[in-house]
Amino acid sequence: MRVATDVGGTFTDLVCIDDDGIRITKSDTTPPNFEKGVIRVLEKADIDPARIDDFVHGTTVVINALLSRRGAKTGLITTRGFRDVLEIARGNRPDLFNFAFKKPAPFVPRYLRHEITERMDYLGRVVEPLALDEVDSIVAALKAEEVEAVAICCLHAYVNPEHELAIEARVRELWPDVSIIASHKVCGEWREYERTSTAVLSAYVHPIAKGYLASLDEKLTARGLSGKPLIMRSNGGVATVEGARNDPISMVESGPASGVLGAAALGVQIGEPNLIALDIGGTTAKTALIENGAAKITTSYKIEWDRTNPGYPIRTPVVDLVEIGNGGGSIAWVDKGGRMHVGPQSAGSQPGPAAYGRGGEHITTTDANLVLGRINPKLFLGGEQEPDWDSIDRAFEPLIEALGETKEDIARGVIGIANANMVNALKLVSLNRGYDPREFALIAFGGGGAMHAVALAEELMTPKVIIPVNSSVFSAWGMLMCDLRRDFLKTEVKTLNAGAADDIEAAYEAMEAQARETCLAEGMPADAMRIERFADMRYAGQEHTVKVPTPHKRLDDAALQELTKAFHALHMREYTFQLDSDVELVNFHIVVFADIDKKQLPPLPVTGRALSEAQKGVRKVDFGADGVHDTNEYDLSLIEPGMKIAGPAVLEDPTATIVISPGKRAHMDDYGNIHIQMRAS
Amino acid sequence: MSSTAQELSPDFDPITIEIIQSSLSAITDEMFATMRRTAMSSIIYEVLDFGVALFNDRGELASSGSGIPGFIGMLEPGVAAIKKKFNAADIHDGDIFMLNIPHHGGVSHINDVVMILPVFAHGSLIGWLANKAHWVDLGGAFPGGISPDATEVYQEGLQLPGIKVIDRGEVNQAVLDIILMNSRVPETTKGDFWAGVASMRAGQKRFLSLVEKYGEAAVRHAMTDYIALGEKIARAAMTDLPKGTFEAEETLEDGRVIKAAITITDDAFTVDLRGNPDQSKTSLNSSRDATFVDCQMIFKAITSPETFGNAGSFRPIELLTDEGSIFDAKYPAAMSIYYETSMLLFDLLWKALAPAMPNRLTAGHYASICGTFMGGPHPETGHVHGIVEPQLGGWGASQEHDGINALYTGYHGDTFNVPVEVTEQRNGLMVDRLALNDAPGGEGERIGGKGILLDYRILAEDWWLTMAYTRTETGPWGLEGGLEGSTNFVEVVKANGETTRHAACTAIPLGVNDVVKVYTATGGGYGDPKKRARERVLEDIKNGYVSKERAKEIYGVDV
Repeated sequence: MRVATDVGGTFTDLVCIDDDGIRITKSDTTPPNFEKGVIRVLEKADIDPARIDDFVHGTTVVINALLSRRGAKTGLITTRGFRDVLEIARGNRPDLFNFAFKKPAPFVPRYLRHEITERMDYLGRVVEPLALDEVDSIVAALKAEEVEAVAICCLHAYVNPEHELAIEARVRELWPDVSIIASHKVCGEWREYERTSTAVLSAYVHPIAKGYLASLDEKLTARGLSGKPLIMRSNGGVATVEGARNDPISMVESGPASGVLGAAALGVQIGEPNLIALDIGGTTAKTALIENGAAKITTSYKIEWDRTNPGYPIRTPVVDLVEIGNGGGSIAWVDKGGRMHVGPQSAGSQPGPAAYGRGGEHITTTDANLVLGRINPKLFLGGEQEPDWDSIDRAFEPLIEALGETKEDIARGVIGIANANMVNALKLVSLNRGYDPREFALIAFGGGGAMHAVALAEELMTPKVIIPVNSSVFSAWGMLMCDLRRDFLKTEVKTLNAGAADDIEAAYEAMEAQARETCLAEGMPADAMRIERFADMRYAGQEHTVKVPTPHKRLDDAALQELTKAFHALHMREYTFQLDSDVELVNFHIVVFADIDKKQLPPLPVTGRALSEAQKGVRKVDFGADGVHDTNEYDLSLIEPGMKIAGPAVLEDPTATIVISPGKRAHMDDYGNIHIQMRAS
Repeated sequence: MSSTAQELSPDFDPITIEIIQSSLSAITDEMFATMRRTAMSSIIYEVLDFGVALFNDRGELASSGSGIPGFIGMLEPGVAAIKKKFNAADIHDGDIFMLNIPHHGGVSHINDVVMILPVFAHGSLIGWLANKAHWVDLGGAFPGGISPDATEVYQEGLQLPGIKVIDRGEVNQAVLDIILMNSRVPETTKGDFWAGVASMRAGQKRFLSLVEKYGEAAVRHAMTDYIALGEKIARAAMTDLPKGTFEAEETLEDGRVIKAAITITDDAFTVDLRGNPDQSKTSLNSSRDATFVDCQMIFKAITSPETFGNAGSFRPIELLTDEGSIFDAKYPAAMSIYYETSMLLFDLLWKALAPAMPNRLTAGHYASICGTFMGGPHPETGHVHGIVEPQLGGWGASQEHDGINALYTGYHGDTFNVPVEVTEQRNGLMVDRLALNDAPGGEGERIGGKGILLDYRILAEDWWLTMAYTRTETGPWGLEGGLEGSTNFVEVVKANGETTRHAACTAIPLGVNDVVKVYTATGGGYGDPKKRARERVLEDIKNGYVSKERAKEIYGVDV
């Protein structure tokens, strides 16, 4: 039996696959003791932990500690002359016309930032030897301030980590129980502010993450779990508990990553390797592109970043996705110029959309979907509660007054604007990177994915929409499709000229040897390990790089030429030009995988039931530009593989609503996924 | 000229129009991102000294993407210059134009190169895209093009008077060859040229897909309507502004006095700069376009900082200047350091308005771009590199909060400093220190933000330094009894210990182990220092932001 639990902002989802098929359960999330909710959802699903072969877990404990500022009191040890780097940051002010701007405060105040005498140059040569004895007084000062975690960041440690390692060892010796993070272990890339920030935020969450993982492990073991849990990472892979504890910041975006990876895995199973994945949640929508069954990974991730806030960088590998403030709870509002907008403010789950009747005073995307008949009021909130129509009407009043339009027109406008925002995000990951959406299928999941997907596909001109089985807990299912994965990146700038091959091959091999060692120590099985190589490349002089997959074979001059050619082609596709300048390799990137024996999605049984037996009734649904239609309602749980449905139609269960507009045709495949053809064939 | 959502012609529903408008800003965002990812020089990809814009067919700004507020309104006169020079019949699909002469419109100094692309849909002109970026070197008398010693524009680099560099998709190789031959860094220049082209082509693709989806008429209408909306928002915000005339003056470090009078009425924001000094014999001059941008920035900040800016947003502004003055210099005045003249004016306008608008405007900030230009051979590779860097500094305090530490000027925006680890690898020098400058100054009930200390150690012979800072003698102004901040300057410490202090210099020679020490100012304070809460002062002492002695002297807090 394989079980995944995904702790989200509102619900903790569980997906279980065994020989009997697939089961899903939802339970409330229980901050700040998230492990309680995990145990509760296991109990609710009536699963005996002793029967579980693999237990995969995704958690928001890290992002939650960061956003709520509930991490540990953290100190910093850094190169003499540079303690203010963390506070200076990059000096940018994205809120261009705001001259009363506020810069985000550093996570470590100046009095907890200590300098130590040492200096490397950019080639990793020691310019100033390390004064290791200074560590003693620094530790004494940090202890006196009751610090719980220490980050260490020395200049150019990504080239030569000797000084960081020595400082780390000495701190550990003097203070065995403090959390310590050395920057090069969580970020092998250059740029001192970003690496310092990554180390500091890693240290900040380390005690909480460590405590949480220990508590979860202990509770599960006490209930009979024989193995160790596997922990979902932002890079689309899972980690051992040991691996997650060493690099806790790698869990920062685990939920979205597993959805994307699940989409990639499902795509491979059903023969759709090229997908645009879209996850619509309560507050945001996230989209990523999957090419040939693989998602892309990036390290340019930031928290609390938006158009007015520079945020905080975390250089950890994260699935390359675009996230926008548009979800079911996004609020519709009117600006000074009389224009309506939707999001990024969200009503969240408290007070929630106006329809919840919990004091929400704003119209949200969910309310608009209700008004237009797209959400079945009888199945609202899992069928547990009637929408509060009075509250919805009250919330519409200010919009009606400001815009001078009817409730229905405004509701159509809300959906239109929300869809346009999402289409822009979908274009960012496809068209703008040189990919033609007509060559991809749109796979949509999350609470709102099924409802909006067809309209979005229409605009994007993707020929097909796929709504996966159990789409509302798809991220949890995705965790069961992930292998063990750990990424290693290292900045080392090399010009790709003739004769460079040996040097580059040696650098990869050295990295791989060390990576294997780390992964073994963290409990990855040696016999299942395999390694993939990537190179972040650019034209000499450029700053930003393009990630190029690198064949895992001994690099010789011919292979290097192939690599350079691949770079030119990728640059051309993404940016419309190529140059005859020198090409540089900036970051070496290797990925260590250990494959897990994953259970494929089991086929659904077919009873031979007629489609008419799944039909519950007919209701009026507003399809926006396609008009208002009498629409067949089907019970999604009664649909069987092979059944064909013609739009207009709504397929629904208490967790998802699939809206199929007029003229579109859908069918269910052997595994329960719904495929919607956008064009008559 | 004030069609609104409610008064639209029936053919276009307001939601569609709004969706097109949000797509217009997605287009300029995309152009911006492309330029940034592909450019070759750090002045573009980190400092973000570039801007992109989209115009309607009449050349009115509809949407812009920029890391710098000072660039938002700059490109409109550039499009106007091309429309004036070329007959409509000579402007074709696939053309790209270039210009860089500040006196002719659309740019502020020779290093800012503008590229302009007309967009055609079904054979008719539907709009324009433009892109302006600081190119590192276009030749001229001084490396990097910039010097306070320039006396005529001819010394500042190759002039591009609105030329067609790409004709119907075909590059004019002769023109490109001349540009590259004249640059001291041809490889970088070539890369930045193609980055500019890529940026506009990305925008063109998106623009045309918008036309394809919604139709030409709807897109045209959406642009016109968007500009009208910008104007409507600006005019509505003006009703909340205090009315009257607000004045300020400032004595420059050379003894000249500059002054400004801003009159705000219900429907106009008039900036009167008449009576200011004649244009300088040096390069510290601004074009009228650059001066107008100063007015735009301050106007936007006090009316609608949180919304988009386009041609409509700035319609209430009226500007009065004397032709031939430092704020409206005539050809062939040198202008390479226009940005310090512009900054002086920007700070002056800010100072005039701040007392009346304490919620939107802080006390004075360090108010100098602190442009620092260095170059020389890389000690490992021998390759000659150039650094073009503005510096971070301290911002003023406000009624609400302490001033911000280490931020770029108000003229900048989403500009990033260059990481020490990157500059050491790329340029082959060493940074000994990057720290907040704890110099006394800027104390108040709310304290001014801190500037920086940045020490560059030179590691090879035959390097040079050019720089020109302002506010080197008088610090940023305080408000409501807050103290004046500290000052901006550079110290050069030669390997033999000899130390000189500079407000400006041109190409002074540097060698191994010479150190260039940058000091930038603390911003002005707000309110009487004696009113600063004791616990805050204690915190400042604990963090080393203020010494115990100074705390006792200024705040009366004894530890």
